[in-house]
Amino acid sequence: MKNTKKIILPLLLVIGAVLVAVFSNVISNKSTASSSHRTQIVFWHELGGPSEDALEKVVDGFNKSQDKYQVVPKYQGTYDEAIQKILQTHGSSTSPAVFQAFDISTAQMIHSGFTTPIQDFIDKDNNFDVNKISPVARSFYSNGGKQQGMPFNTSQPVLYYNATLLKKYGITPPPVSPSYSDITRVAKQLYEKSDHKVKGMTVQVYGWFMEQALANSGASLANNNDGHTGNPTEVNLNNPASVKFLEWIRENIKAGDFIDYGSGASAGANQTAGFLANKVGIFIQSSASIGQLTANNKNELGITYFPHPDGQKANGVAIGGAALWISNDKPKDVQQGAYEFIKYALKPEVQAQWQKDTGYLALNKDSQKQKVLKDLYKQTPAAKVPGRQLATAKPNYYNSGILMEGMQLTRQLEEIAMETVYNGGDINKALEKADKDINANLHTLNKANGY
Amino acid sequence: MLKSPTTDQTISKKQTVSKSKSTFKLNANDKYFSLLFLGPSLFILGLFVFYPMIKTFYISMFLTNTLGKTSVFAGFSNYAKLLQSPDFLNSLVVTLAYVVGVTFFTLAISLLLANLASKKLPGISIFRTLYSVTMGVSVSVAAIFWLFIFNPSTGFFAIIANALKMTPINWLTDPKNAMWAVIITTVWMNLGFTFLILLGAIESVPQTLYEAASVEGASPRFQFFKITLPMISPTLFFVSTITIIGAFKSFGLIDLITKGGPTNATNMLVYRIYKDAFYSGNYAQASTEAIILTVIIAAFTLLQFKFLEKKVNY
Repeated sequence: MKNTKKIILPLLLVIGAVLVAVFSNVISNKSTASSSHRTQIVFWHELGGPSEDALEKVVDGFNKSQDKYQVVPKYQGTYDEAIQKILQTHGSSTSPAVFQAFDISTAQMIHSGFTTPIQDFIDKDNNFDVNKISPVARSFYSNGGKQQGMPFNTSQPVLYYNATLLKKYGITPPPVSPSYSDITRVAKQLYEKSDHKVKGMTVQVYGWFMEQALANSGASLANNNDGHTGNPTEVNLNNPASVKFLEWIRENIKAGDFIDYGSGASAGANQTAGFLANKVGIFIQSSASIGQLTANNKNELGITYFPHPDGQKANGVAIGGAALWISNDKPKDVQQGAYEFIKYALKPEVQAQWQKDTGYLALNKDSQKQKVLKDLYKQTPAAKVPGRQLATAKPNYYNSGILMEGMQLTRQLEEIAMETVYNGGDINKALEKADKDINANLHTLNKANGY
Repeated sequence: MLKSPTTDQTISKKQTVSKSKSTFKLNANDKYFSLLFLGPSLFILGLFVFYPMIKTFYISMFLTNTLGKTSVFAGFSNYAKLLQSPDFLNSLVVTLAYVVGVTFFTLAISLLLANLASKKLPGISIFRTLYSVTMGVSVSVAAIFWLFIFNPSTGFFAIIANALKMTPINWLTDPKNAMWAVIITTVWMNLGFTFLILLGAIESVPQTLYEAASVEGASPRFQFFKITLPMISPTLFFVSTITIIGAFKSFGLIDLITKGGPTNATNMLVYRIYKDAFYSGNYAQASTEAIILTVIIAAFTLLQFKFLEKKVNY
């Protein structure tokens, strides 16, 4: 008995050592096998669910199209969290060669000095016509006349309505580019004529929509032309454009035809569920939702541009989504490989398939001639609307995004202002408070960064 | 086989060792000797607990730039700014309300259920299984489940309200109700574990005590308050400590259900720290908040051991 007890411990240790040796061998074998002779391009992205499958299709297509590079996609969680990972791992062996960073982190990425501007590669490349890529999308990610990141998954905020319900109650649908009062009319009629069974409209508590309301009204949030002519030092959310936007929502809240689904991803899911279940007739969301809204919808889907204030023309909205950036901490050949991948991702046929699979807009002008998209438009004519909204907008400072650091917190504070108003708070007071908090953060950040 | 030396022999050996200074030998009274045993754990604690704590304090003394690096020395101004900020003070109040609410309802309901389930009735084991079933539910599943229930247009509560011709309650969008929604969900999640522990404690109370009390003619209520409660007080103390600490640390549910909103109504300290650090990249402010949270939890634990433990029967 005593002897066996003495043997057990060394035996376990030996078994453990053997197991570790075997497993480490397996793991190292695996990694050497996949790398082969190709240059590894590590690609960090933040797309989950069906979009991730579509993205992997793009990556596979690139890997099969040539034999010099091997792109390895790695999912990194939400957009916000990924930014911190990218910044904190830069210069280490785990950092990515090419990464996806979302719209509002653009100023952070440019100021970090961690990336090689895409323009450097475009200038050396004779086979790439950058003018084929949507100018509004490009201007969002360029600075000082240079293309910094390359727009990739790009969406536009649009307004969705339930066309079948409108027909059922004999309501005239809103025009393609509606004003606030056009939407109010439809929402009120729907609520009244359905005997209060269907809520007229909702606007998710989402800072992005607030910013889009400013862009579409031709107003800026930050000084120095939203950061396009210098680093912003002051923010002014309490301006006529935001007031009009919130007054429009409050009017509908008071009329009873508005339903509040709150903020965040769960609110997005809830309002989509409500819309598909005929509980609410109108909502604003990214054009990337089209796929989901057409696949599970028994009703006809109506789509219009983002609404604009009464008595003025729409200035056009900024894009949302994310861009691809190339890290400058990797060797030249890896960076070149990253560029080749980006170039591949923007090809007309790749972008056309991408729009069909995800609902993100095809950025290459030639994509519209592809059969995939023509078939899509035949099936769902409304799917043309977001692309047209993108094509008709002329890029100016107001609809090219806000080039300011600290946008993540800014968005949270905008959302608090929206929530205050949705719950009956005073519009001017809510905006004043947001201004105060955003500016305090901006001043601290500028001081910390030495701007 | 080694023979253990007698005590006399050890003493004599000790004396010879201390006399002969030329040879270095470890002595049980030697401070280096203790270091040999404490060293490894001190090293690991230092690396993973003390170093991060000191570093957090260090960062809280600075402003951090976009890259998350310390840049401008700020002294205690980060603390001053936070303690004057209405949003941060609101977070403190909200956290306390949440901790108190969750602990109270978790203990009260699970004590009631455990007491009911301890009765010897036919089919009681079915109820025991049902009451403890939430123990196997993960945070994400619970959050999604309750999000469906709270959904303002297709949710369970909304359907009931519509059927009764009442206006549905805005569970997650009204700041007044959001806290209740989060408390309800957390209590529901906590119930299974707390119920099981309390049931075990109630079952282990000697039956003879109740028999004696019954002979004396004591009512069931009297028996509960004078026998059951005092006998399970160590378990109650344990469970309350676990629940309070768990409530302070609550993160997953908040992240999945309200994300701290609406209007910061459920923005607990831990969630706020996470958001400031990993959403906004403001590491200085997040570090400052972390230090403040450490002080609060330490104070709480101290109070609990000082006052509550005295009331516990061991």
